Amino acid sequence: MILRFEGVSYRYPEADDWALNGLDLTVHGGESVLVAGASGSGKSTLCRACIGLIPHFHHGEWVGRVFVDGLDTRDHPVYQLFRHAGLVFQNTDAQLFNQTVESELTYGLESLGMTAAEIEERLAWASELAGLDELMGRSPHTLSGGEKQRVALGAILALKPRLLLLDEPFTHLDPEGTEELRRILRMMKAEEMALVIVEHRLHEIIRDVDRIIILHQGKIVADGSPHQVLAGDLSRYGLNLPPLVRLFRESSLDETPLSIDEALDAINELKNQDRLTPSSIHFLEQAKPPLHASLRTSSPIVQAEAIGFNYQDRSVLRNLHFKLVKGECVALVGRNGAGKTTLIKHLNGLLRPHQGLLKILGQDARGRPVSQLSRHVGFVWQNPNDQLFQPTVREEVLTGPKALRSYDPSWCEELFNRFGLVPLLSRSPFTLSEGQKKRVSFAAALAVKPELIVLDEPTAGQDELFRRELAKFICELQREERTVVLVTHDLEFAAEHANRWLVLADGRMIADGPPEAVMADSKAMTRAGLRPTQRYQLIQALKSMKEDKA
Amino acid sequence: MRPFVFDPRSKLVMVFVATILLMMFHQWTSLTASLGILMVVVLLLHLGLLWLNFLRRLGFACLTFFIIAWLAFDLPTAVVSALRLLAIGTAFFLFFQTTPPEALSNALLKMGVPYPFAFVLSASMQFVPVLVRRLKHIRDAQRARGIPIEGGLSLLVHLPALAGPLLIQAFKFADELAEAMEARGFGIPGRRFRHEPRFAPLDWIVVIFSLLVLIAVFWIS
Repeated sequence: MILRFEGVSYRYPEADDWALNGLDLTVHGGESVLVAGASGSGKSTLCRACIGLIPHFHHGEWVGRVFVDGLDTRDHPVYQLFRHAGLVFQNTDAQLFNQTVESELTYGLESLGMTAAEIEERLAWASELAGLDELMGRSPHTLSGGEKQRVALGAILALKPRLLLLDEPFTHLDPEGTEELRRILRMMKAEEMALVIVEHRLHEIIRDVDRIIILHQGKIVADGSPHQVLAGDLSRYGLNLPPLVRLFRESSLDETPLSIDEALDAINELKNQDRLTPSSIHFLEQAKPPLHASLRTSSPIVQAEAIGFNYQDRSVLRNLHFKLVKGECVALVGRNGAGKTTLIKHLNGLLRPHQGLLKILGQDARGRPVSQLSRHVGFVWQNPNDQLFQPTVREEVLTGPKALRSYDPSWCEELFNRFGLVPLLSRSPFTLSEGQKKRVSFAAALAVKPELIVLDEPTAGQDELFRRELAKFICELQREERTVVLVTHDLEFAAEHANRWLVLADGRMIADGPPEAVMADSKAMTRAGLRPTQRYQLIQALKSMKEDKA
Repeated sequence: MRPFVFDPRSKLVMVFVATILLMMFHQWTSLTASLGILMVVVLLLHLGLLWLNFLRRLGFACLTFFIIAWLAFDLPTAVVSALRLLAIGTAFFLFFQTTPPEALSNALLKMGVPYPFAFVLSASMQFVPVLVRRLKHIRDAQRARGIPIEGGLSLLVHLPALAGPLLIQAFKFADELAEAMEARGFGIPGRRFRHEPRFAPLDWIVVIFSLLVLIAVFWIS
């Protein structure tokens, strides 16, 4: 046994609710455990308690005992526990505090007082395992999100802890980064390291874990194998269920397939037992519920003709042609560094194309200042904290309309109602939860009645409750004939809610069309480092089964 | 970061001696000559472009200093003040361009500075670019909602829109950084270093030479 919680309850200073509430838990060496739950359910607190940051770094009210590798965390400071349990935090920027990747990996080893020879040996091992050999001399802050994640992981792996904890490691990774991380975790598991992975995107890792724990309001409400836990009623816990499990639930089937093969086996078995109704089959084969149709014939909101953008002598965008029309929801997808953020910054003039012509609402965007374009193009950034500075939520939402002299009181009142902000209007935005802050930033972006709204990684790190709200907001925006651009790695969400995908690879637009048509283009998908969604893969497998029978 | 032959401790002595000397010079001629010598070193180390970048930031401070000194005193004082600031800035520019933060913290430890202080100093240097990047994000986010932060005076007018989010994020960031450092053994007794700094004969020579120059200037003045 590597980790044991005995009746652990913990409350942060000045908090009313318990973050952990009577937790009993045992994890054995070589076991991999996925911890899931809605935002605020206590997942990150659990990680902190595992490495002694609670109670040594965060004070507050503490009951019970935690043992890590046999050591009671109350009696051992963090610097004695870190060789036994290592945590890769959510924010990689804050945990990379050395000059180079190499010194990042050796920092913990120096802390352990190892000799130079031992350090060299561990350094070589960890760097090979995490695939960091070519990055060793680089400064961590110049790396991409996926690379930073690997460095943070390598720095912990170098210590060879018996328990490895990862707090939402897949949030900012593209599909290739996700696969790479899964490969490393499988190797760690093979080395008998115990893994505790906190994650909202269950389907990314669920096939690799032995066990799932569901946390709800600081309590463990489900604990068992993935199939066992997912077979239960989890609707109250705000979980983003794996797509195939969700699809089967929606088709009124009790099975819990985690992979396409499992789904096909389950369908065949149900067919053999005559338990598969025609309506279930129809539901499974249907790509997705019909989306709001866009007005493809209307005049374009955005029109890009051969636009290009260079940064430090490097072409970031090359010869892009596309149009965005009224009322459509377009997902911009591609691997990290493909040019997605650079492209969306062109839509409101934060960046200007070096080549080609970009028209916003029929006018050349080049001569128009950001403050003028932002009257028509609203942005909801990934991190709402980048915007908040006003003393109250009301003033925060009204900042844009007042700066742009486009204040419409009845529209803003409607937004307060739509985003559930009425009870929060006189509160400071800094005291809100992250989900509430996101809602404020949505309302702030919409307050100027923009024709186009850009959502930057809207589902990253968000639970199912927020995803459902977001889906509802997108439908409402489309009904109002606003154009929505989603920048996302979350292809499951993009396939369900976008009418169209634009695929970027190395600054080029390599595919443009409905999600199903793009996913059918295997060359483009490979070139962009993307994988078709599980729902799409299942539909294709069912189709080919049908064809084989015919 | 350019490789450099001297130990950070000897460079620290050199930069402090240079600062004292520059504070002692009251003639524009001696300050110009000192700046000239520093510029030769900048060029020899191929740091010219980086220095021009640095000048873009320091230039504003020098100009402000110049105007205030001119208004408060007279033109010669203003020239001397601006030149002195530029020369001291250039000396520290050379120091930081040739000294990795970790080498500096290791050197400070060797000089007996407590570990937490030395490390926090180097980690803060490390996080300046991270915060600058965050500031750019914040500026973009605020401009995207119509706040006209285009630079110059508008930066001052809309300072709360930039400073508010930056401060809140910097506090959160500092907290997360402290957690991550604790979790990697920060402050553990018995820490060893992979690369121990060594004080070579060349370092002794430059330290002695710097101190002799300082004494000589004191003597003459």
